[in-house]
This record gives sequence, C-alpha cells and structure tokens, in this order.
Amino acid sequence: MTPPTINTGDTSWLLMSTALVMLMTPGLGFFYGGLVGRKNVLSTILHSFLVLCLISVQWVLWGYTLAFGPDVGGVIGNLDWLGLRGVTTQPNPDYGATVPHQAFMAFQMMFAVITPALITGAFAERVRFKAFVLFTLLWATFVYDPIAHWVWGTGGWLRTLGALDFAGGTVVHVSSGVSALVAALLIGRRRTHSEPHDATMTVLGAALLWFGWFGFNAGSAIAAGELSTSAFVVTNTAAAMAALTFMTVSWIHRGQPSALGATIGAVAGLVAITPASGFVDVPASIIIGLGVGIFVYLAMQLRPRLKIDDALDVWACHGIGGTWGAIATGLFATTAINAAGQNGLFNGNPGQLAIQLIAVAATWVYAIVVTAVIVKVIDLTVGLRVREHEEALGLDASQHGEVAYQH
Amino acid sequence: MEFLAFASFLALVIAWIALPVRTPAGEIEEQKAA
Repeated sequence: MTPPTINTGDTSWLLMSTALVMLMTPGLGFFYGGLVGRKNVLSTILHSFLVLCLISVQWVLWGYTLAFGPDVGGVIGNLDWLGLRGVTTQPNPDYGATVPHQAFMAFQMMFAVITPALITGAFAERVRFKAFVLFTLLWATFVYDPIAHWVWGTGGWLRTLGALDFAGGTVVHVSSGVSALVAALLIGRRRTHSEPHDATMTVLGAALLWFGWFGFNAGSAIAAGELSTSAFVVTNTAAAMAALTFMTVSWIHRGQPSALGATIGAVAGLVAITPASGFVDVPASIIIGLGVGIFVYLAMQLRPRLKIDDALDVWACHGIGGTWGAIATGLFATTAINAAGQNGLFNGNPGQLAIQLIAVAATWVYAIVVTAVIVKVIDLTVGLRVREHEEALGLDASQHGEVAYQH
Repeated sequence: MEFLAFASFLALVIAWIALPVRTPAGEIEEQKAA
C-alpha cells in the first residue's frame, strides 16, 4: 500500500474553505445583530466573535481529540490527541488521504466554532456574559464533540450505522437548533419585545453566511474535484429556492414579500442542503429548498403559541431546517453523485431513510437532555440571566460598558 | 424529480404574478401589468 501523499489542489481548497467557514461566524453575528434591538447589537455580535476565540482554543486543546480522536465505544474520541499531540502536517487517511491532518483539524474547528454561536440567538438580549462563556465551553465539550464523533469520527456509532451527514445537518444544525429551544425555555422570555433594529445588517450577515457556506459544504468533500463542485452547485440552488419560497409563503400569509423573510429563507435553505449536499443532484436540491422554505416558515409561526422566546428563531431555522435536510438526504441521496454514499428512498433504498431518522432522533434526545443539564448547572452557579434593570438598560451597556451607536 | 423541480419554480412565479401586495394602509393593491 502506497503511503498517502499531499495533493496541493485539495489542500488549497480545504484551507480556503476553512477561511470561508471562519467568516460565517462573524457573518452570523451580523445576521443576528440586525435582528435584535439597538441596545443589544454589540453584545449579540460579540457573542459570535467570542465563540470563534473560545472554541478555537478549546478545539486544539481537547475538542478535536474528543470528536475525532481514536474511538472509545463508538461514542467519543479518546485523549490521545490532546493538545493536538500527534496531529501533524502529514495526512491521516481516515479523514483525508490527500491533505495534511492539521488542515482537516482546522476545517473541522470552524464547524465546532459556528455551532454554539448559532445557539446564542436563542438567549439574545438577556443572558449574562459569564453564563454565555461557560455555556459555550460546556456545550461544545459535552454536546458538540460527542455528536461530531458519533457521525463523523472513525468508529462513531452513527457513522458505523450508515448515517449520511455530508456537512453537518445533525452535527451542527439539529444539535444547535434543539439546544436553542431548551436554552430559550429555561432562561425565560424577554421582559420586553424588541423589533429588528437594522434589517440591512441582517441582509449583509445572510450574504456573508451564504458566501461562507460554499466552504462549509463544498469544502466537506475534503478534496477539489467533482464532488466539491456538485456540492457547491446544489448549495447555491437550495439557498435560492428556499429564499424565494419563504418569501412567497410570507407574502401569501402576511400580504407582502418580506426582505427579512427572503434572507431567513436563504439561511434555512443552506441549513437544509447541508447534510445532503454531497449526496443529491440539482433537481433534488430545488425540492429540498422548496420544502424547507415552507417548513421553517410554519415552524416560526409556532413560536408565539409555544410561549418559548427563542429570540431569533434558531430552533425553527436550524432545528427544523436541519431535521428536514437530514430526512431529505434519506429521500433523495444517490450514488450517482457520490459513490461512497448510499441511495435514498426515491432511489430504491428505504432503509437509508430509517437510518436518517435514527440519527435525527438520537441527536434531538441527546442535545435536549444534556443542554438542559448544562443550563441548569449554570443557572445554579454563576446565574443565567441578567437582572431586570440590566436587561432594561441593554446588554451592551450593562455587560460591556459600551454602546454600538453614539446617536 | 426534474418535473417537480420545474413545476415548483413555475408555481412560485405564478404566485408572484397573481398575489396582491398589501399596502401600509392595509388596502390591497392589485398588481398592475408592467
């Protein structure tokens, strides 16, 4: 057997994709920042920015080895790669035979970064800064890292079962989306409702997310070639179709085509195509975009009825969007796109749909239970929520002593 | 699958042509042909 050798084209694409995914997290900050009131915009953007810093260090110290290290019972990686010991610039054939192991590690780091950042939208405008920091580290360690191992780690039980998740439908979006619902439920509702203070900022954030998502999905091929190109095309198509669908459904329901609706729809489309992007063809990506535009809009209408103040609709967009994407992968996957994948229901393999449902259910249950424990522990120790007068003042001034706008 | 993809996009286009836009005053303004 010939030893793995580094391919410069693959490595270039993977490093570029890593940078693209990195940009998504501050982009998410802008997306969320525009949706909150003006006295909380800085803290909201800061949450995303600081998750980038926190998880960048957590990942190299212990996150990567828990997620991708040598397997322990199918549920977690061991500590052999603690502090990146043994994670070299030579390829690791288990994860990428043509790229340096450290390049793969860095690419995965950016996924680990953006996932807890997604949750910050649920407790926006009322979480204590200390609680946010603690939550981010605990959630990444006890929720993200194990689920990433189940689905992507060599020996992970869902990977062994045959679950398909090309770029993180369950690992990133279902896990963060359902955790957001739990976090929002336990922290309680905001005392006053705030309107989006800058829709243009949200459009900018959505555009940055869309741009970065090419790295997220097409980069997940871990190579530059046919599969990355296919993933790139279906990613763009699903995002566009979902934006148009969401906008149209909101137009039917509310009487006007919403600008914010189009951007939220685009993000929902990107979420839904994420697990499927390396396994489906272009027509399927249009159906996936259509479906998620409808499902996420309907889920968002549930928020007032549920009485859970998931401030920026993280559960609807990522929890429901990710769930649909994972199920749709089991419907539309085809080995004509990816010979290393599986066929889905519509290509003669109903068993794949069952496997996808197991992966989704396991992620929902685990994320709900462990997130609830983490949030409760934080509430009982450092305290989860700012005091009433701090919330009235806004988190920018009360938590950081700064304001976003002087006028 | 291709048929469904074409049909769904076409349905959206027809909806944009057919749907009225609610004005800020709450009235329904019929879309006028360009």
